Amino acid sequence: MAAVVGERAPSTNRWLAALPYVVLALATLPILVLYVWLFYSSFFPRVEGFRPVGDFTFDNWRFLWDPLSVPQMRNRPPIVPLTFNTFIFAAMTSAIGLLVSSMAGYAFSRLRFPGRRMFLGSVLLLHSFPSVTLLIALFVVLRALGLYDKLVGVILVQTAFALPFGIWIMKGFFDNIPWDLEMSALVDGAGRFRTWWRIMLPLVKPGLLALAVLLFVEGWNQFLLPFVFMPSGSQQTLSTLVKGILGEGRFVDYGLLTAVGLYYIAPVLILFVLAQDQLMRIYAGGVKG
Amino acid sequence: MRVALERLTKRFGTVTAVQELDLEVRSGEFVALLGPSGCGKTTTLLMIAGIYRPTTGTIVFGDRRVDHLHPKERGIGMVFQSYALYPHMTVSENIAFPLELQRAVTRPDREARVREAAAKVQVDELLDRRPAQLSGGQQQRVALARALVKRPDILLLDEPLSNLDARLRHDMRGEIKRLQKEVGITSIFVTHDQLEALSMADRVAVMRDGRLQAYATPDELYAHPVNRFVAGFIGSPPMNFIPADLAARNGDLVARAQDIELPLPPAQRPRGNAAGATVGVRPEHIAIVAPGEGQAAGEVYVVEPVGREQIVDVQVGGRVLRVVAPPGYGGKIGDRIGLRFAPERLHLFDPQSGDRLA
Repeated sequence: MAAVVGERAPSTNRWLAALPYVVLALATLPILVLYVWLFYSSFFPRVEGFRPVGDFTFDNWRFLWDPLSVPQMRNRPPIVPLTFNTFIFAAMTSAIGLLVSSMAGYAFSRLRFPGRRMFLGSVLLLHSFPSVTLLIALFVVLRALGLYDKLVGVILVQTAFALPFGIWIMKGFFDNIPWDLEMSALVDGAGRFRTWWRIMLPLVKPGLLALAVLLFVEGWNQFLLPFVFMPSGSQQTLSTLVKGILGEGRFVDYGLLTAVGLYYIAPVLILFVLAQDQLMRIYAGGVKG
Repeated sequence: MRVALERLTKRFGTVTAVQELDLEVRSGEFVALLGPSGCGKTTTLLMIAGIYRPTTGTIVFGDRRVDHLHPKERGIGMVFQSYALYPHMTVSENIAFPLELQRAVTRPDREARVREAAAKVQVDELLDRRPAQLSGGQQQRVALARALVKRPDILLLDEPLSNLDARLRHDMRGEIKRLQKEVGITSIFVTHDQLEALSMADRVAVMRDGRLQAYATPDELYAHPVNRFVAGFIGSPPMNFIPADLAARNGDLVARAQDIELPLPPAQRPRGNAAGATVGVRPEHIAIVAPGEGQAAGEVYVVEPVGREQIVDVQVGGRVLRVVAPPGYGGKIGDRIGLRFAPERLHLFDPQSGDRLA
């Protein structure tokens, strides 16, 4: 719109057209500075305010190839298993979440069963439940099931928290598929399950991909649950490592912290860049109630 | 295979979509379910398909009662209004899908049958395309191939032509009819277009508000409509209706409305002694004659040439009658004319119930 106006009266309106960008740029600046700071402080011995001190160095990244020379890393699990744990955690929550969301979303979209509306409503309610309030109860349940201090337990809890969002997203995608296609599959001789698997799922693939990425990132970034429910450390994730370095007591090595932090967010950034188109579609695809 | 619907009823909540429908389709017959939107024709089709379960009543295929069976157990093929081709599959995968679900069909056999079905509807050149790359007519053909590939006992078509443009619709009309006769498959199709129903079907079931109004051959529906609704729904341009009084004159019965007096030949006389009737006469059964001749006098209201003929609206008294005139007719708006009714082509309906009197 602004461009169209600008073409008609270039002299006066060019500045007006630029105005929104100026405002947005100013608002975005602090966040941008944050990331830039994170990036360059990982390559300098010290940073005073925004000013790096000393020479460019890879010293802070030593934890990758020589973890034993980094004091803060000495009494922690090595970085590779931690990364692997984080990956398993994120991938499993994503996979289980995807499976359950796509089945439940289909059921909510297509089947009429008693209590459907109530289930839909309560799923939404769960979505707005702050997970902190459930920590104690979860602790008790995990202990009773023998899943406390195990990656599996945290995976299940994280998946459960992610499901309401996933179910609603998938329901929205299924809602957009015409009934005719499903009826046609039934008449062609498919049962309900095969119709779901062969016809419906391929048609919501954009939704599945987007949801997979979102659930993965959510799992990757999750701090609270692994921190609380896996205290012994052998199965910890990267987020708890960052927290560990930050809370090491009197003196925090910001160089190391930023390097580990950057290492931690890099996969997510790469994933976002790769999956950008898919993620856009989750909102463009329209979520209907 | 014969299809019989007995006292078939479908209610959605408090709404009755189909009420006590009795219908029998003979083996190999091509039947149209015709009616305005909301008349229950598609609901009926979906009950035959097994998508909807009837509230009460039975559906019989051959000698087998099927109303409790799943769609996949019924041996039907169906073409949907939207064609419902699977967008993520190629044409050949679409056509193969019903066979994929039949374990008895081996892979080489499946490929042969896909090619055979595709050839039958002339889409064998398009097997590797996706539905989005096809025109409406091609999609329709693929949908037909997919419906027929598993050699079903019954073919169902829901508004098969309504998504095509006028030209293509005409072509497909003939083609579907030919294909149906060639395959010899019992077929039922739903349409709201009376021309489609008359031109394609062996018999037409006219429905209204969930009830069957008439079930007869196209000729019969046209020549002897059983009630006013059927008379008005079948035929284009639609039949004229004239409320009239019935009176005896010189031993003859005449139907009299303002400015019109129609002697009724013996065959057209109503049973019993009704005092009034709604007289129906099709536009093609009224001829324009010189002023003073015929049974009514009127004035040309508007002339619409439609190529093969001209449709003339004629003002007679307070009403407008529609008349079909030959292409050479050169009448102008405001011309005074006479109208001659073909007496043996008059239809008399009860003014209240709309039932046929004679």
